[in-house]
Amino acid sequence: MRLELRDVRHVYAAGTPFEVEALRGVSLTVEPGEVFGIVGGTGSGKSTLVRHMNLLLVPAGGEVLVDGVDATTLKKSELRRRVGLVFQFPEAALFAPTVEEDVAFAPRRLGLDEEEVGRRVRESLGLLGVGDLAGRSPFALSGGEKRRVAIAGVLAMGPEVLVLDEPTAGLDPATRGELLDLIRHLREAGVAVVLVSHDLDEVAEVADRVCALHAGRVCAIGTPAEVFYRDPGLAPVTVRVASLLQESRPEIGEPVRFGETVAALRALSGV
Amino acid sequence: MQNLGTGTRHGGSFAVSCEGLTFSYPGFETTALSGITFELRPGEYVGVVGPNGGGKSTLVRLLNGLLRPDSGRVLVSGHDPATEPFEVRKQLGVLFQNPENGLVAPFVEDDVAFGLENLGVPRGEMRERVAQAIRAVGLEGYERREPHTLSGGEKQRVALAGLLAVEPEVLVLDEPTSMLDAAGRREVLEHLEELRSRKTVLHVTHHLEELLNADRILVLNRGELVADVSPERLLSDPDILRENRLILPVVPRLARALGFGANLKRPEELADAILTRAESGTRSR
Repeated sequence: MRLELRDVRHVYAAGTPFEVEALRGVSLTVEPGEVFGIVGGTGSGKSTLVRHMNLLLVPAGGEVLVDGVDATTLKKSELRRRVGLVFQFPEAALFAPTVEEDVAFAPRRLGLDEEEVGRRVRESLGLLGVGDLAGRSPFALSGGEKRRVAIAGVLAMGPEVLVLDEPTAGLDPATRGELLDLIRHLREAGVAVVLVSHDLDEVAEVADRVCALHAGRVCAIGTPAEVFYRDPGLAPVTVRVASLLQESRPEIGEPVRFGETVAALRALSGV
Repeated sequence: MQNLGTGTRHGGSFAVSCEGLTFSYPGFETTALSGITFELRPGEYVGVVGPNGGGKSTLVRLLNGLLRPDSGRVLVSGHDPATEPFEVRKQLGVLFQNPENGLVAPFVEDDVAFGLENLGVPRGEMRERVAQAIRAVGLEGYERREPHTLSGGEKQRVALAGLLAVEPEVLVLDEPTSMLDAAGRREVLEHLEELRSRKTVLHVTHHLEELLNADRILVLNRGELVADVSPERLLSDPDILRENRLILPVVPRLARALGFGANLKRPEELADAILTRAESGTRSR
């Protein structure tokens, strides 16, 4: 599916002295099967923005379109099945006595038969690499395991767009790398992923396009190179290294991903 | 375990000493920490890394007395948190991951003063120590600001000032930047770097790049201390990295891919090394 936000505005505590304009007219489109990165400082509106993608928040102005159709006309349950939203620290919402039960909760609520529920639970846990934990209590797992189980619970609904809000915060480096592999895998399977992250290096590694937010507005949107080379001071490490060399060696171009950067740097230093 | 010269033992002269520290959470079969032994010498900056579930948070809770060991002993400046919790709280301050959880007062200066109030410090002295702590984290002019109006990095600096006001000998940083954006992270790390010469620091993190200038790095995995090594040694040992779910930070990883040593830490250093090599290559052709 194609998910489009047109001039979306949001105001918290409207009409009170605490009124905050969190989104001041944001327009963007998440294309089917792409990885769409959203970056920006604390308070820039990232989490407010993604809550509009499945209408958990309703825009005060502008509209959300699903394949060109006004999302407010769709059934909410349908919209939330198609756009899966994983919050920050989603492990806080684990509740069932076993991992299996927890992941089965949402697909069961969709009214699927038990066979299909079981298939989806196994598939999601398998994708997250935690299939062997199915019978365990979610409360006896490590932080990284809990995070994966929580993501599997949303994945089991079979979303067409999966929104991940800071999915790697607090995880060890190897687990972070495995979640990036999962994102690549989902892209191959045709699932679009919206990745909100403070970690620019990880956004650089997997995003097809990037949107940078500042104070509730889009300040840049485009390919990772287009966005990150605008301000190399606040860019992924690969971009910072390459941009330091650009002045004397313009032939280096604008590499972003680790592999591209290594190739560009090798060509430069004649290795 | 790999141990690279942590010096000889001198009874109580360590800022922190842990000996045979073992702990299990009630109802769990596996031990959270088993037989952890290490010391921090006064003024050292020591990192702690390791996979989720490795025992890092448990160690922090044992150090400040939130948990008591099943066996073994912790001493903070010679005091045992299990029997002298108040003394230990004066000597050891913990900066937690989420600054939101620690801020309690309506204004920044009250928040910074909170720890001192609990210790019963006289007013005049309190005022002076609060002002000094606020200066140390670069928040002059923020005294009457309300904490909820600050950015994540600023909140974390307020929390840090609250710790500094108590004037502890040891600072324990428990993933202090993991909730912050790139700018907030940078600003907190800069202030921590400035404190380095004056405090003994134990810095727990998942971001190895924050520890490239540490004196030593401890690696905790499955409750065991599996390495106590210099950053250079850790970065150049692919086996320890892999076994402990660590990944080289981007600059050293680029450096390695290009055949440079792992001692290049900052983007500027790597860029310089590449230029130097490119120029010498041109000349020799």
